[in-house]
Amino acid sequence: MSDKLFETLKKWGINNYKIIDKEAVKEITLGASILATGGGGDPEIGLLWAYKVLDEGKTIVMIDPMDIPDDILVASPATLGAPVVLTEKPPSHEVLSNAISNLERYIGKNLQATIPIECGGVNSTLAYAAAGEFGVPVIDVDGMNRAFPELQMTSWVTFGVNASPTVSCDDRGNVTVIDTKDDNRMAENIARRVAMAYGGISWIATYPMTGKQVKEASILNSQSIAWELGKAVYRARAKHLDPVEEMLKSLKATRNVIGIKVFKGKIVDISREFGGESSKGFSLGKVKMEGLEDYKGRIAEIDFQNEWLILKIDGTTRCLPPDLIAIVDPETGEPIRTDIMKYGYRGTIILIPAHERMRSPKGIELFGPKYFGYKSDYVPVEELNREV
Amino acid sequence: MGKDVRIGFDVGGTFTDGVMLRGKDVLAKAKALTSEDVTSGIIHALDILLNTNKAEVAEIALVSLGTTHTTNAIIERRNLNKVGIFRLGAPATTAIPPLTGWPNDLKIAIGGEENIFIIRGGKEYDGRDIAPLDEDAIKNACKKIAGKVDSIAITGVFSPIIPDQEERTAEIIRQELGDNIPITLSNHIASISLLERENSTILNASVITVMRKAIDALKTAVKERDINAPLFIVQNDGTIMSADYAVNYPIFTVASGPAASVRGAVYLSGIDNGVIVDIGGTSTDVAFIVNGFPRESSVTVTIGGVKTNIRCPDLMSIALGGGTIVKTRSQDVIGLGPESVGYNLVKLAKSFGGPIITTHDVAVAKGLVNQKLDVFESDFAPYIENVKKLDKKIIDAAYEAIKKRLEVAVDQMKTVAGDIKAIFLGGGALVVPREGLEGISEVILPPHFEVCGAIGTTIAEIGAYAEGVADLEIEDRNEAINKVIEKAKDEAQKAGAIRHSVEILDIEEIPFAYMPGKREKVRVRVKGKIFE
Repeated sequence: MSDKLFETLKKWGINNYKIIDKEAVKEITLGASILATGGGGDPEIGLLWAYKVLDEGKTIVMIDPMDIPDDILVASPATLGAPVVLTEKPPSHEVLSNAISNLERYIGKNLQATIPIECGGVNSTLAYAAAGEFGVPVIDVDGMNRAFPELQMTSWVTFGVNASPTVSCDDRGNVTVIDTKDDNRMAENIARRVAMAYGGISWIATYPMTGKQVKEASILNSQSIAWELGKAVYRARAKHLDPVEEMLKSLKATRNVIGIKVFKGKIVDISREFGGESSKGFSLGKVKMEGLEDYKGRIAEIDFQNEWLILKIDGTTRCLPPDLIAIVDPETGEPIRTDIMKYGYRGTIILIPAHERMRSPKGIELFGPKYFGYKSDYVPVEELNREV
Repeated sequence: MGKDVRIGFDVGGTFTDGVMLRGKDVLAKAKALTSEDVTSGIIHALDILLNTNKAEVAEIALVSLGTTHTTNAIIERRNLNKVGIFRLGAPATTAIPPLTGWPNDLKIAIGGEENIFIIRGGKEYDGRDIAPLDEDAIKNACKKIAGKVDSIAITGVFSPIIPDQEERTAEIIRQELGDNIPITLSNHIASISLLERENSTILNASVITVMRKAIDALKTAVKERDINAPLFIVQNDGTIMSADYAVNYPIFTVASGPAASVRGAVYLSGIDNGVIVDIGGTSTDVAFIVNGFPRESSVTVTIGGVKTNIRCPDLMSIALGGGTIVKTRSQDVIGLGPESVGYNLVKLAKSFGGPIITTHDVAVAKGLVNQKLDVFESDFAPYIENVKKLDKKIIDAAYEAIKKRLEVAVDQMKTVAGDIKAIFLGGGALVVPREGLEGISEVILPPHFEVCGAIGTTIAEIGAYAEGVADLEIEDRNEAINKVIEKAKDEAQKAGAIRHSVEILDIEEIPFAYMPGKREKVRVRVKGKIFE
């Protein structure tokens, strides 16, 4: 373990920490990719980056949010843009540290821990890789316990923590400081345009906050939820259990929520909105699935904006944001992502109630169906699927 | 006299199988030992077929080959090309350089990390340059690798949409290193997803020479026997490609053997769902049939420890075959393989008067093998008395070890609980236990099980694709896609497929996000039958 990291933990009086080795990275990445509801980007990129950091002999440590001092500075290293661009254009090795050091310079303080912004194949793992590189711990939290397309869609904002200042960088060394005070939609607006100018993807250091704010406003232990979920799928694969059943059991155990299996089918049509990447900075579109086995003759339609947003089965709405839609390979439990899905892929659709901190009136206003331009009021997924 | 006879070969680690068919009738079958040079094994099998005089040379309409050359070369890290690796993408992409996550021995076998160049260049999704292509850097790289590499892999960011920089890079490399160096461009290999596409491209570049030698050998053999028929090579989706095309795209033959076996097994057994256990001399492949086709691996496929985005049958290979060596110490079995006596079975195994106990001898002792298969030249146990002298304790222990290894492999591939039907095939099918296997409800040995893969190659279908650019501002999306589908069907027909048998395998749409209006690239893959 690096001396600096060890000293920090000692100074904070933390004896309980989890060493994140390659196995753990693999499990967390898979779990986070499932919670990423079709978005979150190519997990291979986050995974290999974290592996590279570990191969360089650096240590990654995760700590519990309730153990951290109230006055430390933490922030979220993340990527913002269109996932399909990320899949094809991995980052430069300097871009994330460039974002973090520029944020430190702007604030005038050093970063003392990282917090993942969301559960996603890339954004979860990035916080780990950056923590390893900077010799600081990762805190077992995030801002949504799923993935969402826009910067302001976090529990942090619903509790009054702002994304600003955010530093956004690209591979060419361009640096943009975004400081919109408490106007978080403006921060998203600018960050999105900056990402588009950069070529569809940006690397940011965002949501600088204190330890106290982490405890008050985050989804606590969300990394452990993802980790357990990933372990459950690997366990299912090893023992030939149904990965979907194991996922639902894991979520019951870690979050005490009931996930619902609503469909199994095959992708028969994908219509992507043209120019979504350049005009809006997202991958946008609709996908249609035809039912298989018990669901034969039924049709599922899912709208996506980087992530799966709304599910209708035979014309009836079955899930609305911020509740989670996960589509996974029925045999392996591997999530199907909006950026790589293809005609013919088979998937099982699982619906998961959003974390309670995401379901507050402020949360529904910030990332409920109306925000995404749908007419319907938010109805919790449990109520939409009573008969299941 | 019609031209309606098909000949198929399936080159395995130990045996090369051959079949000659007219329609569904198996006219002749052959099994020759796979030789070190591969060629003579194929020629041997071909000659056995021709010498049966079941058909005239002039009647032969097709010669088709399913081979494990490339897979074996990659897995065994043998005869691989040293690869000059060019990625066009700096300053982006450097966080994860080429070969990250590769097994060390494979890295070394393809020439190591010193032949990697991340060149300034690549494209943004909207057609802009990430950086202008650094042509001087390419030339300097060529100076460093001249004489040290024998194959080139080029992967550019967003090349599946805009391939220009990859093509320009190839042009510069040819100027510097000559026209003869084989160059693989990633946009010909796979679609969006840089790291997996790059891995697939590098692997392709590493097995070009292995593939070229194999095809040259087959072409010569066929020509020398006055056979005037097109040559096809089986691809990993179970379709076939022309031999000339295959020379440049050997990676598409990875796992083609099992794909052919699965198709052959379905054809012979009529069973649409179950597990296929293909037992050779050195190894056993376990695959699943789902609705008549090999179960496809989801999203990424690992070849020799490397993640790729090539679509492949989901497959597990274990070191268990007819020639696998049973290791003993006094009266105890202390190991089973992974070494195999391979084609020296007929010299080294106890049943053939040799000194080594193999799985074949265990099967002979247990009475599993009690007859000569007509494809083998030698009897199953000319020295049966040597086998009878073997310690019963050793035989029983070895039998249990073989059974266990098979059960574990089937279990690991299984995705559903409960017992399933198993189809055993391959030359070693009789060598492994068939009774009381855990997880298996019934073992089926279809007719001609010992040449199933070779039969599969002859019923393979033509694979073809077409691309088109659709402008959705002026045409309907469905109409535009249909137009490309028709074009792909035309291509399949030209390549020898029967029009009405052509089916769609895959439709891919890639929007040109950077262009004004609503334009997209549509790519359609199809397959069609050669015979009714």
